[in-house]
Amino acid sequence: MGPLNEAAGPATVGSNNRPFTPSLLLGLALRPVPLALIQPALDALVAAVRRRHPDLLERVSAYADSGICIDPTDLPFVLLLTLDPARPRLTARRALEPGEASATIRGSLDALIALTDGKVDGDALFFTRKLIIEGDTEIVVALRNAIDGADIDLTEDLAATCGPLAGPVRSLIRVAAGVIGRLGQDMEAVRATVIAPALARAEMQSARIAAVERDVARLRRTGSGR
Amino acid sequence: MNQQRPELVCPAGTPAALKTAIEAGADAVYVGFRDETNARNFPGLNFSRPELKDAIGLAHRNGAKVLVAINTFPRAGATDIWHRAVDDAVTLGADALILADIGLLAYAAERHPEARLHLSVQAAASNPASIRFYAERFGVRRVVLPRVLTVAEIKALNAEIAPIETEVFVFGGLCVMAEGRCALSSYATGQSPNSNGVCSPAAAVRYVETETGTASMLGEITVNHFRHDEPAGYPTLCKGRFVAQDQASYLFEEPTSLNTLGLLPDLIDAGITAFKIEGRQRGRAYVAAVVSAFRQGVDAVLAGGTPPVASLDAIVEGGRETAGAYRKAWR
Amino acid sequence: MNPARLTLGPLLYNWSAEAVRDFYFRIADEADIDTVCIGEVVCAKRAPFLAPQLPEIVRRLTAAGKEVVLSTLALVMSAADLNLIAETATDDGVLIEANDVSAAALAGGRPFVAGPLLNIYNEDTLACFAGMGAIRACLPAELPATAIATLAESASIPLEIQAFGRLPLAVSARCYAARSRSLAKDGCRFVCAQDPDGMPVDTLDGVPFLAVNGTQTLSHHYLSLLGMLAPLRQAGIDRFRLWPQTVDMVAVADLFRRTLAGDLDPAEAGDRLADLCPGRDFADGYIHGREGRVLVDMEMAD
Repeated sequence: MGPLNEAAGPATVGSNNRPFTPSLLLGLALRPVPLALIQPALDALVAAVRRRHPDLLERVSAYADSGICIDPTDLPFVLLLTLDPARPRLTARRALEPGEASATIRGSLDALIALTDGKVDGDALFFTRKLIIEGDTEIVVALRNAIDGADIDLTEDLAATCGPLAGPVRSLIRVAAGVIGRLGQDMEAVRATVIAPALARAEMQSARIAAVERDVARLRRTGSGR
Repeated sequence: MNQQRPELVCPAGTPAALKTAIEAGADAVYVGFRDETNARNFPGLNFSRPELKDAIGLAHRNGAKVLVAINTFPRAGATDIWHRAVDDAVTLGADALILADIGLLAYAAERHPEARLHLSVQAAASNPASIRFYAERFGVRRVVLPRVLTVAEIKALNAEIAPIETEVFVFGGLCVMAEGRCALSSYATGQSPNSNGVCSPAAAVRYVETETGTASMLGEITVNHFRHDEPAGYPTLCKGRFVAQDQASYLFEEPTSLNTLGLLPDLIDAGITAFKIEGRQRGRAYVAAVVSAFRQGVDAVLAGGTPPVASLDAIVEGGRETAGAYRKAWR
Repeated sequence: MNPARLTLGPLLYNWSAEAVRDFYFRIADEADIDTVCIGEVVCAKRAPFLAPQLPEIVRRLTAAGKEVVLSTLALVMSAADLNLIAETATDDGVLIEANDVSAAALAGGRPFVAGPLLNIYNEDTLACFAGMGAIRACLPAELPATAIATLAESASIPLEIQAFGRLPLAVSARCYAARSRSLAKDGCRFVCAQDPDGMPVDTLDGVPFLAVNGTQTLSHHYLSLLGMLAPLRQAGIDRFRLWPQTVDMVAVADLFRRTLAGDLDPAEAGDRLADLCPGRDFADGYIHGREGRVLVDMEMAD
């Protein structure tokens, strides 16, 4: 298992791998706000894909226990995908704990969406270094093959969840990828440059509290592991 | 000039890719079952029995054929898995079976004398004596040639073995070693194309980000290290970078893809029955791009023109293309 | 149980004419080996070197009581290759080892040996070759003991297992000995002669991995099944193949013979084999169903 852990890189994978300015790091402590906004959309997406492409989960049924970290490099958060056929989940997270994901897929949001829609070839993205894969390669290959085989169209899949509103929703979603991306980036910039300095003291306090909470959580996990 | 219209045989790892291939102009699509009976036994890939049934229906409604690859070498004591694959493919209406193992060919020829049998590239039948053996003994109608012969050699071979048909690879991943006779993958990982239907299995592959780039590992073997500005390739051993004669190099082959668009007039002239595109493990985008390029290319040459220049650079391994063994200098 | 027999596989490398002659003469005179395979298996371009001295070597081996088998080319591409095989395969005075389906077919029902480079993975295929005239079969390198046992159970002909030496892993139309020296195959200057035990191929991080012999790729590790001889005998395997390497093959054969006879403990034999092959690494992964390059039988480890 040693080498596999090495491959996963630092203790936490995802956003933390990218260089951040100190002010941006402070901004990161403002955790829940944008992610909470994104989560319902992700839930709807998973529900739609699950309903419209049941074969997708069947193709990856051997990896039900695994988590995959999807890291859009131009967004300030990562997505944790779990493939339990009974309860697949796509969760937006600031960062992952070690061991939560057995593999990481990293690329621009554009590239990841085009890949999901089957508009680009995963191997081609990899050959041209626009896609980076770490950890358990097998699960990534399985997911890639399953998604490509499912004939997914993210826009259509989301719109289909909306019944009579499908039309307007479709046009809304058409720009959603870009908007989510910009929203994420904008929020980050705003937080970093405006809110963060103002909240600096409060942030440091909450960061300290968060650190303590993390330590407690870690202790609890270690304890229950024995 | 020989103007026989070659059949364009295209890959599909999923029903969606099969649909894409047919839309892009495939005359035939080749597929495999979702298990170790075929040489692209990759996770998340290939067809269940019901999927194959639907796929054959769709293909036939659109005038395309479905060829089922059962081209690994059955495991001793477990040949019934492969026998079942043959039986099911025939029952579901496959237009041909692509087989490599002599024992399995014997089974198919005996149980399903009406089935059309093709010899897989994994059998590496590279000469008239071998090809005639498979034709006479098992009634093989078409041979997929190993990627070791030049165009001139293929033309001479066709003249000698007619009416046995030949099929050659025109695009995609390139085996550097004679197919079906390579154990490099199992030497490093325990899994081989012959036994398990996988070369460099994904479960054994790891990409390790380093300060200067990405290292690809297969089991404990470092296959390559790509700088950030270098195009990457599959972590297959024959496309790896190794040290020999005190020098690190692509000893066997660069990360590269076979592309014969420019050779199409010569290949058509060589009297080949079918042109095959590699890549059941590739996505729909690849299938669409490559199949359309070759559909247009073949049609253009048959109409007396030259193949249109299609940019496939973006989808080929290592960003590089080769005419491979079709040109003698490759050897 | 049938008596155990040792086969010397064909010399795969491009040795000088003198070295080849000396090697086979010494095998004839001194080695306790039952069957000797000889013939150019790897590269058709090299075949003319062996041809002139082949009759004399065969005579000497036959006179010494060895069974002589002519091994044929693995990758048969040209009409000239085929003609050569056809000539040997249809000579009733010669027993060939077929390393390509073409040779087995050209034998036309005459007895032949099914070589290790044919793909015999299962009982159906084995039966087909036996039906074509194979009098025994040497199995492919990557087969695990479980498959070997299954094959042995159903086999109507004796089976041979590769037991010592670099494993033949792949053949190609391309020459890597030439390529590594920036030469084309057509103008190769026979640089493969500089690699009498294969050209070492290491990974970027310096791990020895493969050995190149012209168009052939072999394992870096020497296979040694000294520790598996007894169970393989129990499974019904009568024959064991030793691949010629640049080590004292007479002494290697002696170790295998005495271990098979039960006169030498496998662990002791392993130690002595390591002494005979200084600087070489050993592996036996395939027989244990593992990657070929690992050593599972730790008695062989230093």
